[in-house]
Amino acid sequence: MIRLKQITKTYHRGKVDTEVLLGIDLHVKAGEFLGIMGPSGSGKSTLLHILGLLDRPSDGSYLLDGSEVADLNDDELARLRNAKLGFVFQAFHLLPKATALDNVLLPFTYAGRYPKDAVAKAEKALERVGLGHRLTHRPGEMSGGECQRVAVARALVNDPEVIFADEPTGNLDQRSSLEVMALLQGLNQEGRTIVLVTHDSSVGCMCGRMLRLIYGKVASDEPVENPVRAQEQIGLEAGGAD
Amino acid sequence: MILPYRLLKAALGSLWAFRSYAALMMIGLVIGIASLTVIHEIGEGAQKMVGDRMASMGFGANAFYISAGGGKLGVRHGMKRTMTLTPEDAEAIGRLDGVDQVVPHKNVARTQISAGGRHTNTRVRGTPPGWAAARNWTVQQGRFVNLRDLVTFNRVAVLGTTVARELFGGAIPVGKRVRIGRTPFTVVGVMDSKGSFGHRDRDDFVIVPFTTATKRLARDDKLNGMRVMLVSSDRVGEIKAEVTDVLRERHNLAPGVPEDFLIITPDELMQFITRQSRSLVAMLTFISAVSLFVSGVVIMNIMLVAVSERSYEIGVRRAVGARRRDIMYQVLMESLIVAAAGGLCGLGLGVLLSYLATILLNIPTAFSPMGFAWALGFSAGVGLLFGLAPARKAALLHPVEALR
Ligand SMILES: Nc1ncnc2c1ncn2[C@@H]1O[C@H](COP(=O)(O)OP(=O)(O)OP(=O)(O)O)[C@@H](O)[C@H]1O
Ligand SMILES: [Mg+2]
Repeated sequence: MIRLKQITKTYHRGKVDTEVLLGIDLHVKAGEFLGIMGPSGSGKSTLLHILGLLDRPSDGSYLLDGSEVADLNDDELARLRNAKLGFVFQAFHLLPKATALDNVLLPFTYAGRYPKDAVAKAEKALERVGLGHRLTHRPGEMSGGECQRVAVARALVNDPEVIFADEPTGNLDQRSSLEVMALLQGLNQEGRTIVLVTHDSSVGCMCGRMLRLIYGKVASDEPVENPVRAQEQIGLEAGGAD
Repeated sequence: MILPYRLLKAALGSLWAFRSYAALMMIGLVIGIASLTVIHEIGEGAQKMVGDRMASMGFGANAFYISAGGGKLGVRHGMKRTMTLTPEDAEAIGRLDGVDQVVPHKNVARTQISAGGRHTNTRVRGTPPGWAAARNWTVQQGRFVNLRDLVTFNRVAVLGTTVARELFGGAIPVGKRVRIGRTPFTVVGVMDSKGSFGHRDRDDFVIVPFTTATKRLARDDKLNGMRVMLVSSDRVGEIKAEVTDVLRERHNLAPGVPEDFLIITPDELMQFITRQSRSLVAMLTFISAVSLFVSGVVIMNIMLVAVSERSYEIGVRRAVGARRRDIMYQVLMESLIVAAAGGLCGLGLGVLLSYLATILLNIPTAFSPMGFAWALGFSAGVGLLFGLAPARKAALLHPVEALR
């Protein structure tokens, strides 16, 4: 699915060059749930943006589904983002003045062909994240957890192969974090590849595999033993509260 | 290319989110387009009024007018005219081949006219019987001056409706006695109303027989002018030249001496009017073009600011798959919508202001299709032209930077 070879990223700001990624090798198979952790400034977001085709590496090779990303032009990258990838960000990144439904419909706007059942699909996606009753709410009228679930619905509405999440639980309380993680785990069980950046080790141990970045280099890369199931945690919490 | 309807929806959605900016952007354009519209409506109204006036002066294609005094059309206003045209000149012209009829008139200085205890000041004009027909003026009550009045220097008067109203109120004037200056007259008719022309009341006059005016009121027989009606419209230029020769000879003008009369043909008058209004319209169009340019620059700058403030939205759209050109089209569409909305508002405001100018200030206006086309064309053009830079800026935003 994803194969990186010696990916580097250097930011040029004036005369100062910041080397952020110093040669990343990575192979992610379809259906994996990859977690990325590391200290602040280690290049996690930078790597995720490159993986998600939002940014280009300075050097190295990135094969996505067998095609070399460097050979694709910006329009083709946009096309791939729209058709194959989904994003969930720490700050939700919803359109503030648009309703939940319109936010979830947004990917279809750029889908080349607007599906006839777009609204039905979007409603289904919102139902799946438990927001079937919040279709006409705007981000300002929803809690952070609900906003992030709208973002998840938007990420999954186009039936993507890979979902990228950059600290999706960073702004959420325990309960909402678990709900979002349960959704991502569910999507992973359907066979979708998930790449998730987090600071939170309790979130990290819900991934299937953990990549640790330090100073732009891979420090470790190993499977997670017995990943925690978020859905069960929700059940436990509910039980504990009674 | 994303579907136009989706594009429109995206643009409208973003505009709605930034509606205070949109309103700010529209203000300049509304003002610019409104003034453009008013300009055109006033121009159109003036043109229409002049056309009406020419028609009411009997300016058909087969007539011209000889005015006393020399000079050139349009530069004689307020100048004292030499009064050398005589009834004999009129007769001599009437004898020329191709001339059907000559209708002279003699203006008497504004004079007091009174009846019973009431009086008013008005223009008194002496005319032959053919004058009303030559001008397409019609009688509302009674009759016009006739031939018998002319040969007997009859003291009869035909009133304009303003004079009739001021002297007699609602009563019927025909048959009543009036005094023009100190001379008694009998009212024999009242003309139909012609309405006003700008600030000039065209019903404020009294007509008396031509001979009565020259012999009893003005006490000189110099004409103010005469209308020359031709048999056909083919030989206007030729006959004009003949008339010039006849008058120069009769007035003993040596070669090189400028004429003491002015012949105005309908063609020349029309050319004069259109030349005048053309330069007026050109000037006003220039002014509104400048104001529209300024509003375009305002739109551009506000949009540029809005693009920076909205970089977040643009980043979100890019992340879910919008291409650079999708963003560019959207921003262009937005500026086009704002401009078109501003243009339509300006058009509406302009029409309203023109209407108010007509009913409150008595300035003639008329709906101008040209003004309409200019307004729409200009606003769309401004929207597209000045939307380009913001659209480019938006399209060039890097998705990651935009989301920061
Ligand atoms: N556009 C840029 N120009 C210059 N330097 C940049 C730019 N973007 C990121 N950096 C630098 O790159 C380094 C890595 O940034 P990145 O956002 O990938 O870190 P991170 O691992 O996601 O950190 P955090 O956990 O705080 O989110 C940082 O030192 C940052 O200052
Ligand atoms: Mg980060």
